[in-house]
Amino acid sequence: MTIDIGNMSRRDLLKSASVAALVAGAGSLAIPRRGAAQDANTVRVLSVEDPFFFSMKALVPEYEKETGIKVELESLSYDALQSRLVSAFVAKTSDADVIVVDQMWLGQYLDNGWIISLNDFIAKDSEFDLSDFIPEVLYSSNMWRGQIGTLPVAAYAQGVMYRKDVFDELAIEAPPTKTSEDWTWTKYVDTLKSMEGKSFGGKPLFPTVVCGSQPSPIVHMFTQVSASHGANWFKSFPADPWDFSPQLTSPAWVKSVEVYRQLYKLSPPEAINYVWFDAGTRFAKGDIGMFYWWTPYFYLIKNSGYMTGKKSDVMDKYATAALPKAEGVPQTVSLGGWSLGIPSSSERQEAGYAFIKWATSKTTQKKMALWPDLNYQFSDFARVSLYEDEEVKALYPYLDVQYAMMKQGNGKVTRPPVPGYTAIESVLGLTLNQLLTGSEEPKTGLERANSLFESILKGNLMIPYQKASYADTLDGAKALIAKR
Amino acid sequence: MHTTTVRSPRAFRPARKSFIRRNLPYLLIAPSVVMLLALIAYPLLFALRSSFYFWNLQIGPEPLQFVGFENYVQAFNAFDFRAALTNTLILSILGTTLEFTFGLAIALILLKALPGMNVVRALLILPTTIAPIVVGFLFRYLYDPGGGLLSWVLQSLWLPVPAEGILGSPSTALAAILFVDIWQWTPFFAIVLYASLLAVPDEILEAARLDRASAWTILMRIKLPLIKRTAIIIVMLRFMQIFNTFDTVLVLTRGGPGTSTRTLGYSLYEQGLVNFNIGIVSAMTWITVLIVNVIVALYVFFAFRNEEW
Repeated sequence: MTIDIGNMSRRDLLKSASVAALVAGAGSLAIPRRGAAQDANTVRVLSVEDPFFFSMKALVPEYEKETGIKVELESLSYDALQSRLVSAFVAKTSDADVIVVDQMWLGQYLDNGWIISLNDFIAKDSEFDLSDFIPEVLYSSNMWRGQIGTLPVAAYAQGVMYRKDVFDELAIEAPPTKTSEDWTWTKYVDTLKSMEGKSFGGKPLFPTVVCGSQPSPIVHMFTQVSASHGANWFKSFPADPWDFSPQLTSPAWVKSVEVYRQLYKLSPPEAINYVWFDAGTRFAKGDIGMFYWWTPYFYLIKNSGYMTGKKSDVMDKYATAALPKAEGVPQTVSLGGWSLGIPSSSERQEAGYAFIKWATSKTTQKKMALWPDLNYQFSDFARVSLYEDEEVKALYPYLDVQYAMMKQGNGKVTRPPVPGYTAIESVLGLTLNQLLTGSEEPKTGLERANSLFESILKGNLMIPYQKASYADTLDGAKALIAKR
Repeated sequence: MHTTTVRSPRAFRPARKSFIRRNLPYLLIAPSVVMLLALIAYPLLFALRSSFYFWNLQIGPEPLQFVGFENYVQAFNAFDFRAALTNTLILSILGTTLEFTFGLAIALILLKALPGMNVVRALLILPTTIAPIVVGFLFRYLYDPGGGLLSWVLQSLWLPVPAEGILGSPSTALAAILFVDIWQWTPFFAIVLYASLLAVPDEILEAARLDRASAWTILMRIKLPLIKRTAIIIVMLRFMQIFNTFDTVLVLTRGGPGTSTRTLGYSLYEQGLVNFNIGIVSAMTWITVLIVNVIVALYVFFAFRNEEW
């Protein structure tokens, strides 16, 4: 056989390349799309692996038995979930029928058309009772520009946890379970200071523990202090007209940084590197007097380690309390959590809605709460009725405190879910982290962060804001919920 | 020289067969070329195009407008760019140098016919097989100031451990990340260099010993020159790998405290997979590609300037 390489022209080479490309292209067409190959009796659920996931997963076989629908439940870490979802949305592939959505992603997903509004489903569903949901939760986590984009499967507020035995031994007055003008951040810091340098059970005691790791953990914890002090991120948001000129140089921000710095000084020094669960597991270890954090830690600290199921040393020795407030400022509590939504690329949106309705229903949420594994690990209710359920309250005795915090919640003020939020969160997280360890004045650091905020927001076409504003207030949301 | 080829009559009939025969080598390598273009050239060119557009997935699903070099300006002026570049260069240069030095030392020890070397060789490869994320979590516990093994060892040796912990102090956090990389990748150097040293002819070494050359002279004048090409290649590969480090940083420090452990790889991850700013991350990708290529080109030029390939 003769192979005439030397005589191959450029045109021949192009022809060969075209043929090869065509073959490769045809090959890829022959691969069936995942969505197309999906079983009609299957619903694919993509979740984050937060505490609620495990009790929900335990109940899925029951759902499958009741409905005959097979649930393909998959869980990922927070970062991996966001990356996977966005990749699938951009590639316009059908990756799931139900997805778990963080409140910070809601606006982006709805504006980009990546998830569908649930308004129509809810309007057509006569059985669905929206009024049982806590309006503050729906407003903070599920509503964007008047649309209900998701429904809450796990709702978080923030609250205080303290060691009853330590407080008794040191004769410190227990913090109140209700918000009060006497229970302020100043009093909180003073209470912590009364534990400074003390030992308990023969071991040195740290008055508190904070999260110092950037960007999200420190921002999640710090923004509770800043929200309490009435600090706003922007000139006008969520009320209209939206003006995203940053406001980090206001006295409320400076005061909040000063408070948080004091809290760090009363924490173990290594807390500068602590992420969410580090703070909780440190309290569960037994050498912390009092701290505040997301309400899932009300039950997670019963575990030694993170979701281990092994009982911690503090299991029967802690109590919960209301968050402190700032003098003369109405309390605002940070709200967060996870919700379920339906991707617009899903070919089984009806089945997706049926699953969401089941997972967020009172019955399922109660069963999740009664699931005994991992020392009873679910009390993140968004439904009012579950906070009044005596059987559930017997297992989770802190529910009154949690509900009171929920009712003062406003997630859109504490961490505004605006497009491009993560970029400014990076800047704020870094600045706070630097301010904890350095000697820089809070005002100087915040001025630098403010300038970076402005630059990022201008780069993201948010200043001046060119799209239509929306009066996204809690009262407006309550009115919308009542109408449905 | 004249070559006669006997062809079957059938070979002249269908034009299609003749085309396939003439182009067979190209058709055979075409899948590889297509794959290379699809996997390397296309993403790079796509990134180059995207780097000139304002395209942030948090703002809108499509590129919104052409912005020229604005993304490059923003990337250079970002609050963390200089710190990230400095940390990346420190990690890459120190990491490669130390890993090579320790790897070479281990390889030379492996050459000695000591008892138990087979087991050591098998164990050596283990760290490189562990995923960096897992290594990160492992060292997170080892560095824990409340009872982590490494913190305890340092304290036992009366070496100062910062109150914030090794990972919590700006003065030690970068060194801690460097140590993790050295722990994981020194064995890689050791194994590759050991394999190269095994190929050094015994006669040359024997002749040198007869000439009373010292062990140091033999290493510097005979062994290293003979394994130079392998050494240069693995140093180059590791340099490029360390330059893109982000996973251990993500698990151990998330770039902190402050910007003390922020690397270009971590900033790329943050801009791309957290902020979803495709325009900026594309510009940063190209900046990184250019920096790495300039450094590697200079390195290769100086390393091989007296070599014939």
